[in-house]
Amino acid sequence: MIQTQTWRDPAREAAPSGKTARGADIIGARISLRDVVKRYGAFVAADRISLDVEPGEFITLLGPSGSGKTTLLNLLAGFQGIDGGEILVDGKPITPVPTHKRGFGMVFQSYALFPNMTVAQNVAFPMRMAGVDRATSDRRVGETLEMMRLSEHAHKTPSEMSGGQQQRVAIARAIVMRPRVVLMDEPLSALDRRLRESIQIELRELHQAIGSTILFVTHDQSEALTMSDRIAVMDKGHIIQVARPLEIYRHPQSRFVAGFVGESNLIEAEVLERREDVAVLRSRSGHVFQTGCRNVPATGKVTVLVRPERMALHQSPQPGTTPATVTSALFLGETLRIEAVIEGGETLLIRCPDTAARELPETGSVIHVGWGAQDCWVLS
Amino acid sequence: MTATPLSAPAAPARRAWITSPALLLVPAILFLSVIYVLPLIDLARVSVAADPWWTHIARVFSVPLYWESLVRTMKIALTVACLCAVLGYPTALLIQRSRGTVQALIATAVVLPYFIAILIRTYAWMVLLGRNGPLNKTAIWLGIYDEPLALLFNRGTVLLGMTAVLMPLMVLTIYSSLSRLDQNLIRAALAGGAGPMAVFWRVLLPLTLPGVGAGFLLVFVSALGFFITPTLLGGPGDQMFAMHITQQADSITGEGFLQALAVVLLLITLAVVGIAGRMMGFEFIWGGGKLAAPVQTAVPEQRGTMAPPRRSVAMMLADTLGWPILRLMGRLPANTGAWAVRIIGAIVLSALILPILVVIVISFSEASYLTFPPPGWSLQWYEKFFSDSNWMTAFWNSLTIAALSSLIAVVLGGTAAVGIVRSEIKYKSALMLLLVSPMIVPPVVLGLSLYSLFLHLNLVGTYFGLAAAHAIGGIPIVVVIIAASLQAVDRRLEQGAAVHGASPLTVFRTVTLPAIAPGLAAAVFFAFLHSFDELVLSLFLSSPRMKTLPLMLWADINYQLNPVLAVVSTLEVVLVVGGILLARPVLGRSRGAH
Repeated sequence: MIQTQTWRDPAREAAPSGKTARGADIIGARISLRDVVKRYGAFVAADRISLDVEPGEFITLLGPSGSGKTTLLNLLAGFQGIDGGEILVDGKPITPVPTHKRGFGMVFQSYALFPNMTVAQNVAFPMRMAGVDRATSDRRVGETLEMMRLSEHAHKTPSEMSGGQQQRVAIARAIVMRPRVVLMDEPLSALDRRLRESIQIELRELHQAIGSTILFVTHDQSEALTMSDRIAVMDKGHIIQVARPLEIYRHPQSRFVAGFVGESNLIEAEVLERREDVAVLRSRSGHVFQTGCRNVPATGKVTVLVRPERMALHQSPQPGTTPATVTSALFLGETLRIEAVIEGGETLLIRCPDTAARELPETGSVIHVGWGAQDCWVLS
Repeated sequence: MTATPLSAPAAPARRAWITSPALLLVPAILFLSVIYVLPLIDLARVSVAADPWWTHIARVFSVPLYWESLVRTMKIALTVACLCAVLGYPTALLIQRSRGTVQALIATAVVLPYFIAILIRTYAWMVLLGRNGPLNKTAIWLGIYDEPLALLFNRGTVLLGMTAVLMPLMVLTIYSSLSRLDQNLIRAALAGGAGPMAVFWRVLLPLTLPGVGAGFLLVFVSALGFFITPTLLGGPGDQMFAMHITQQADSITGEGFLQALAVVLLLITLAVVGIAGRMMGFEFIWGGGKLAAPVQTAVPEQRGTMAPPRRSVAMMLADTLGWPILRLMGRLPANTGAWAVRIIGAIVLSALILPILVVIVISFSEASYLTFPPPGWSLQWYEKFFSDSNWMTAFWNSLTIAALSSLIAVVLGGTAAVGIVRSEIKYKSALMLLLVSPMIVPPVVLGLSLYSLFLHLNLVGTYFGLAAAHAIGGIPIVVVIIAASLQAVDRRLEQGAAVHGASPLTVFRTVTLPAIAPGLAAAVFFAFLHSFDELVLSLFLSSPRMKTLPLMLWADINYQLNPVLAVVSTLEVVLVVGGILLARPVLGRSRGAH
């Protein structure tokens, strides 16, 4: 039952070549944050944040509320002044440029569609402000509405549309100028789950089609994993880790990242032995298991992350398993979610696919849990 | 061993109609019918009791004195409303854009004058613009001219005074619609490349236009019936229509014509409010607070049919007129707009606050006449006020009447508010309109209509009579404040208490009452203040033996301007500031609930 997976090199597989995967030109700007500081009184919302965003990249700022992700977006948009450091767009400092001259697109959680204008007028707004001539503006608005499948709604007012449609209008307005940078502030969190998932895919494809750099803010980890080229996990005004979604999920650099992105079993263990390519550890409950050698010191204690879906569940003892008592077992549809406690040790969370061969274990029954060396990730 | 249930099953609902909240509306409606609606009907009856019936009304429109005065009144009211809108919008923007202490200070500078009697604020302008007033003194000191100018008693002072007196109404109405805007709309416009001017022209102004319209109408309608300010600040050529009614009442002309004057003023007011109400909904009278289901469902339908043509016309105007101007404005330095807002806002705020400050300073003057700055300081005028038995009697009369009046207004208005918010009856909006309509009826008309009723009932010059008359205007205040507080109460809390066995009365006592207590306190205070400041009704309904404080002030202002008046004004400011400090949290909440 132990899944084996090879993980690819976390470094970027290919440098941007000037084309997106869909063949569109990359028009996005390179954004560089250098030691950016923002304070609200004594509270430091952004504490010397540095980050480089590649042209045409889809980067997500992920973190709990109050972590500073929206602050960072507001600083980029120019809604607030910066208290230290600098922000460069294509190498030029952007701080002296007022919001309306930055030429970014932006999507808000509350949609922020102008209720006194029709859909077409809303989408045309940035073009009119830029002084684009009527014919060009009409053509581009038409194209963009078609792209967002909104053509038939062009003459409606926002209040006549559903939340999902309104958000698509807001996205259309943000991209109609083909801006170098599009900022998105939790744009999907007001929508219901099903709609959210379909717009996630739509946004991802849109990004490929227009080639802008997109900065996306969310507190929803699954949204971040689905959509981003890279994720910057934030906490308390710091960026904790920046990496590709797979890397963030499989190799989080801290307990915070491990806990915030996905579910996790964090097992405290003592290093018994470290060999060439494998290390032997013993958990608090006395279970002895193997891991890869990365991040493992010669002696001492380590924290090991094993994702619930990497846990293997057996009815009877197997080599490398440990017995555990089921404290809760839930059927969630495509998966089973089981909590079990190892005697004298840790509580484990196990997720396994629903198969014909497996019954939901009874609460109080004993199961046998194991995991392979490849399923462990030692936190540094 | 069967367990007995802890509570007996509820009694059958045969007496349901007795417990219906709609019954709570009955006392207030009865009271207003007798003391407010019937006298107005009687007024109309007397005005047409001639042969042929239109004799008196025709005279109003054919005698040049009245006809010209009517036109003049319209012009003045329109000018004042325009001035208030143009100057009030930047002031409202200034409040909305400032933060923290600055915002609180600016808001107080607007709210404070709103609650000070019109009489006192007009008096303050008389002091400020007087021969020896600060304005003349400053101009001479600066060498602009050598001899003090006669700044008072002309059309300009009337416009200035009325604009200043009505400005808070406009600013607060516009601010409430500005503060309800989603701030992200402005951000979205900025992110879309709109400069500050374009944001104002394309987003801010179109979206707050209903608020501006509501403020404009409230100011216009109030100005139509204005009496105190034009009387005190105007010259012989600035007679407004309401002034004729009081003058005619003094020199008892033929029965009927006087009433016809009042009916014409009332009909014009009602026509303006009626047309405006059809167009934008009658909610503008009480500040845009939505009522309940019937009103809410009616509004979108109306929007669906009315909005698109109006919007496209507005859009066309904005495009043809606005864009060239906008392009030109774009060439101005980046902060022009922000500075214009600050400068206009500062001028408006100083026009609201300076007169009051000057009056406070003058009340400590040593001089026996009005001069600024005072040659020396003393408390002699305070001594004079507190030792003069006439002033003290008037003061106690006013306190007693105001206490009685606020009691009537809160009991009747409070129950009516519960009835309005909690009942499910038809014609709810019509009833609400009746309850708040005294706000828009010119006080002069109301005073005249009550006079004959009070003569019949022997109520002229009695405590109860004046208190009841003042309560007509107090009830709308109470209804609006308490209805807003009630709507903010979470129904689920009440349902929660009821599910767990609380009777309706217990629910009200333990859940509802504590939640609306701050609103109730504010309602009591403002109803009290309304009566304490009331002048026009009292002019009609008091007797020489029964003087209230505003009546004493009125007599003294017309006779001689002395610093005792400044003492009374200062005491009123202290009263209002005290009240606002107590009611501050409530005010913030009820304004947010709009």
